[in-house]
Amino acid sequence: MEAGTFLHLHAIPWNPKRKASLPNFRRFVRASSNSQARYRGPKPYRNLVADWVSNNDDTVRTFPIFVGGASLLAVLFNRAASGIAPVADASSSQSRADLLTLGLAVTNILTGLVWLTIRPKSISPVNPQGVECRIISSSLPDVVVSELLWVWESLSAVTCCRSLVAVYDSICILQIGMAAESPNDGEALPVDAAKLMQGSLFQGVMKSGAQSYLANLSLYPGRSELPFFPKNTQAVILQPLGDRGIVIIGGDTIRGFTTSDQAWITFIGEKLDATLGKYVINNPLAVQDRV
Amino acid sequence: MSGLSTHPLVQLKIRPQFRSKFSRKSVTIYARIDNSQTSQDQQQELNLSVLRFTFGIPGLDESYLPRWIGYGFGSLLLLNHFLGSNSATSPPQLRTEALGLSLAAFSIALPFFGRFLKGATLVDQPALHQGAEQIFVMSENISNTQKEDLAWATYVLLRNTNTIAVLISIQGELCVRGYWSTPDNLSKTQLLDWFKRQIENIGLFDLKETLYFPQISESGLWEMLTKGTRSLLVEPVIQGIGRSTNEMEKTEDFVLLASSIGYAYNDKDRAWIRAVANKFAGSH
Repeated sequence: MEAGTFLHLHAIPWNPKRKASLPNFRRFVRASSNSQARYRGPKPYRNLVADWVSNNDDTVRTFPIFVGGASLLAVLFNRAASGIAPVADASSSQSRADLLTLGLAVTNILTGLVWLTIRPKSISPVNPQGVECRIISSSLPDVVVSELLWVWESLSAVTCCRSLVAVYDSICILQIGMAAESPNDGEALPVDAAKLMQGSLFQGVMKSGAQSYLANLSLYPGRSELPFFPKNTQAVILQPLGDRGIVIIGGDTIRGFTTSDQAWITFIGEKLDATLGKYVINNPLAVQDRV
Repeated sequence: MSGLSTHPLVQLKIRPQFRSKFSRKSVTIYARIDNSQTSQDQQQELNLSVLRFTFGIPGLDESYLPRWIGYGFGSLLLLNHFLGSNSATSPPQLRTEALGLSLAAFSIALPFFGRFLKGATLVDQPALHQGAEQIFVMSENISNTQKEDLAWATYVLLRNTNTIAVLISIQGELCVRGYWSTPDNLSKTQLLDWFKRQIENIGLFDLKETLYFPQISESGLWEMLTKGTRSLLVEPVIQGIGRSTNEMEKTEDFVLLASSIGYAYNDKDRAWIRAVANKFAGSH
């Protein structure tokens, strides 16, 4: 085990050797009508160190530099003030101790510099300009509708997703979140599924069969094929649903979708494809209704 | 679905583009801003200025270098103190040694604090599966749709997070997958009953909030977890979200994840796990 865990264990209030079957742990009194079944196990303590470091990220990153720099000066000052000749050799015990301490000080300074340089650049989200919409195809069974809504709730809660469109069997089955405003009536601009499917973005994704991530949408000329998304959508992920459909996810931050998000979206796409394939076999999808 | 593989997916690949050597006498540092927008870089969340010392040995985590240097130089300082000179140690040397030992202790602690900084990467540790069996069992008394959902959820949690074992309990019905420490020669039904008894003994009921144990000692936490378990996350599934809160909602459903590495689940992982747990809220 690392030394870091050694420091950590001292703060754990409960006895780690205790078996769960023995009734030797704290009981939690809960004001519930039936108090027979309640969680009786150990409770994790709040990691104050982790919270403090996360909250004071900038200060912590520069801390080793100050510590190392101050120690460096202290060693030199100590040497000068003690009247020892400023000769950097290892002949005397004092010199050796000084050199080792200097080495440690330099290590700390360099670590602080590394921490500063790997600080993630924070990119601010851009509020999408458009209207809220919630359009789901009326011919879909409840199972599919709840799965689609679960996908939307998950993506909007966990990632920077602000717009979601799903096209399956050449019909737009879902348009939810922020959408571009239609110039005619101020409502959401509907998705022209046929036109989308003729575009290069859709064709490319269908050909590769793999997810496509446009991390900075403004750099891509294919932007014009997504007129239903707010004009200032920052990032887009196109996830194929097998070979019958596509899910298009719009985000409000440049490079806002992480590698983890991309992996999750791939798996969600596969699940959605399986569900849709099962329940939408041979059933022609009707035109969508506005909900 | 393919076989189980438990490689962690989240690995921010910080490609070292420059190796800097440093000695005690002189330090040369170069820094370049890497702003390229290649398709590979699109996958990186961070925009890095490149300054990274590396030995270039794969699998070796250089972020622990301050700790090794702290141990090494601290030992040398002590050695120097006791064996260095025949005469008594002078006050200036004592001051230097005190400062040096404090710095050594600080260097040893640095990687521990660095782990909590934003953008810190997680280093792989080999999963320890001694005496543990990989299993996949599911209750029979559930609908096919729910079986598919459970199979998919357990699969995706094992693939996409640093998880070696997952257990989902919905209305008393279980789906268990991964590496668990179970008695030998039990049938499927017996295994499920055994897990249910374990859950009852632990008392995993009425969880109001997520339980996260990011650092479990070697002595272990619960009997059913394998010896190598270092992190544990229990996410309650809150049924009936949006219903009136006049009656107390009892939460019996949960998603339990175990990992063989410490601090296995960061905020993003926990958010996704919550999203998967919500899939089973109101599913019956």
